[in-house]
Amino acid sequence: MSSTEQGTSSAAPAEPTTAPESAAAPEVPESFYYVHGKDKVVHKVSAGALQHSALIHGMISNLGYTEEQAKANPFPFENIDGDILQMVVDWCNQHKGKPTPPEDTNLPKQKEKLFDLVLAVNYLEIKELLTYCCKQVAMMVKGKSPEEIREIWMIPTDAEDEAAEKEAKKRAGKEAAGETAAAAGDAK
Amino acid sequence: MPIALLKFPTDLLREVFQQCDPFELYKLSKCSKRIQKSIRSGGTKNWKLIFRGNLVIVSVDGLHYNFDVTENPDEYFKTENPRGYENYITIPFDDNFDAFLDLLDTFRIRIVEYLRIEFGSFEQFSKLARGLIERNIEIEEVLIESTPQVKKVDKLMTLLTQMNTTQKFKCLKKFPPKFRHQMDKFPKNILIYSSFWFTIDQLLESTCVRIELHGSMLKNQDIDLFFQKWKRSGSFPNLRWLEIFSKNIDDKSPILGMIPPIENYGNRSIS
Repeated sequence: MSSTEQGTSSAAPAEPTTAPESAAAPEVPESFYYVHGKDKVVHKVSAGALQHSALIHGMISNLGYTEEQAKANPFPFENIDGDILQMVVDWCNQHKGKPTPPEDTNLPKQKEKLFDLVLAVNYLEIKELLTYCCKQVAMMVKGKSPEEIREIWMIPTDAEDEAAEKEAKKRAGKEAAGETAAAAGDAK
Repeated sequence: MPIALLKFPTDLLREVFQQCDPFELYKLSKCSKRIQKSIRSGGTKNWKLIFRGNLVIVSVDGLHYNFDVTENPDEYFKTENPRGYENYITIPFDDNFDAFLDLLDTFRIRIVEYLRIEFGSFEQFSKLARGLIERNIEIEEVLIESTPQVKKVDKLMTLLTQMNTTQKFKCLKKFPPKFRHQMDKFPKNILIYSSFWFTIDQLLESTCVRIELHGSMLKNQDIDLFFQKWKRSGSFPNLRWLEIFSKNIDDKSPILGMIPPIENYGNRSIS
């Protein structure tokens, strides 16, 4: 059961409804939570919108916070840039209570933010948005040659991979030698 | 704006691979050994592979992606379709047989929808069959064409019948007169154009739904024996259709107590 269904005590008053069928069943008051990213800017988001995120939904489902408690305890996502979190929050608000259509025109399209967006969405476990974002990533190489794909997705060549591996081994060897020398020094 | 794809955690990489079509994923696999390993470790795909001899096709939910081979570097990964195919790409390989096995491994495909033995040497077909047996791949349908290019069909048959063929085995090629073979595994449907070697014992062991034997050597006594068994409850529970063309079936001895030709018994007939 979600927090919205449990009905936290400080939730906002229900909007009057005009539809006759909903008049019979009184609307459950909506509860809100607060999140912030690396920039500390706090976003107020309804529990309904946050249901898209399996991570946040799992965090809030048993909290039973009052409005004041929720406000005083925003969820910190220090690993997510403020503008990325804003995008995610906007998307969650736009899709509150409804599934994402296959071609969603409301989704973030900034290619330069795509990498960070994918990581954030993956962390927040927003399955539908993640699928769309990964589709956007895949579309970046549609019709491209392997050489172009290598550039677009910054894939090192075999020679570069081998050089990096050698370098890593060399570094690890040096570190191990340093540790051995330090241990020998300690023993003396 | 480039993206450092390999900086994604493994689960995210797999999610991106999931969204790539076979052409993009294949080209990606050719970018480096590391990314190829990453793609190959991404689990098996429910895509199917089709071998048509002149083309290798990846079938994704009924949509076909046609892969052709070329040795000309200027034509690598071109999508123009000189033969009029839609969804077409050329990949750098000497022949379709190696390309087929590479696609099988790259996409971790477990099912071959259709395998057509038509153009190629015995060595190439043997390699293909052995590759499929080693990988324990399910082959839904096998067709051996009657073209002159199909050589040593007797030896080939030994290999092909070891494959895990599940739906249909169709052989249009004639076998040499001394050919003898024992089929141990039966797909749902078999159609053998030159079936003189298919004995009554093999017929009695079969588990097929549909059997068509042309050029058979079976006699009235064989058919009678088979029908007597088929009549018994629980025998050949799968069998729905049996068609045998044999010059040894005559009007000299009875089948189920009747002398051929037997006609107009419902929709069935023996003639």
